[in-house]
Amino acid sequence: MNDLEDKMRDALRPVGPTDGFSDRVLARLASGTQRSTQEAQARPRFHRANSRWVSIALAASIVVAVLIGQQWRVQQQEEGLKARRQLIEALRVTSDKLDLAYQVVNDPSPSEAQHEPGV
Amino acid sequence: MNLRIAPTLLLSLLLLSSAGAAESPALLRLPNFDSLTERASESVNITLDSTLLGLAARFLDAEDPEDAAAKDVIRGLTGIYVRSFTFEEDFAYPRTDIDTLRKQLSAPGWQRLVEVRSRKEQAHVDIYISILGEKANGLAIIASEPREFTIVNIVGSIDLEKLHKLEGQFGIPKLELEKD
Repeated sequence: MNDLEDKMRDALRPVGPTDGFSDRVLARLASGTQRSTQEAQARPRFHRANSRWVSIALAASIVVAVLIGQQWRVQQQEEGLKARRQLIEALRVTSDKLDLAYQVVNDPSPSEAQHEPGV
Repeated sequence: MNLRIAPTLLLSLLLLSSAGAAESPALLRLPNFDSLTERASESVNITLDSTLLGLAARFLDAEDPEDAAAKDVIRGLTGIYVRSFTFEEDFAYPRTDIDTLRKQLSAPGWQRLVEVRSRKEQAHVDIYISILGEKANGLAIIASEPREFTIVNIVGSIDLEKLHKLEGQFGIPKLELEKD
């Protein structure tokens, strides 16, 4: 029994820390704090850089969209004016040929003009 | 039940849309005039489908009398096609192209409105009209003169009165015929 008590006492006796224990603990704490501080400092910088690129990309997209829109408007206008010119020319040619038919029909000199019956 | 109706409805819609997009019988298949374009001293090649007519209409000024007349004429039209060639020599164009067109114009639905032959000017003008039901839905003009050959095909509901009113517009002097 005494032997068991002795063994337990021996096992549970307070043991002092090894040399430099507290220094190692303090050093580890210090390095941990530094790392978290660095991470904390780096995060906003990353966000700042990121948001700057997002703003640049957004601004560039708006400029490109405006330029494309303007180009499309100019192109539409050119096509519209070309179509208008063609329309006027087409009507001029049509009018010209109808005019020729009327002239020949009304010309007193010999000509052959037939109006199809029933039309 | 709904699942059975859906494909039928979709098919009906597709058929309806394809019928709507079908070519008008008043639209002529104009031959390729590339060889004539090369030989002609002047050529006019105008193709205005409904999209381009709509675009052109947006650029017509309602305040301008010429533009207003044009706008009035094209209302209801779905296409204007013009091919016109001027040559430096008499009858430099082949008759086969004209015959191809005349064949198309002999199809049911087309009626010759006017046939004009002038011996003096050697001009030959035929005006055809396409009628669907009781309405004119197309017009074709074939005009051949010694040095000029013109085809006009107008598709859509045509008001001949408005076309006649074009006379005096677009730089064409009002017709004043002198009679001996």
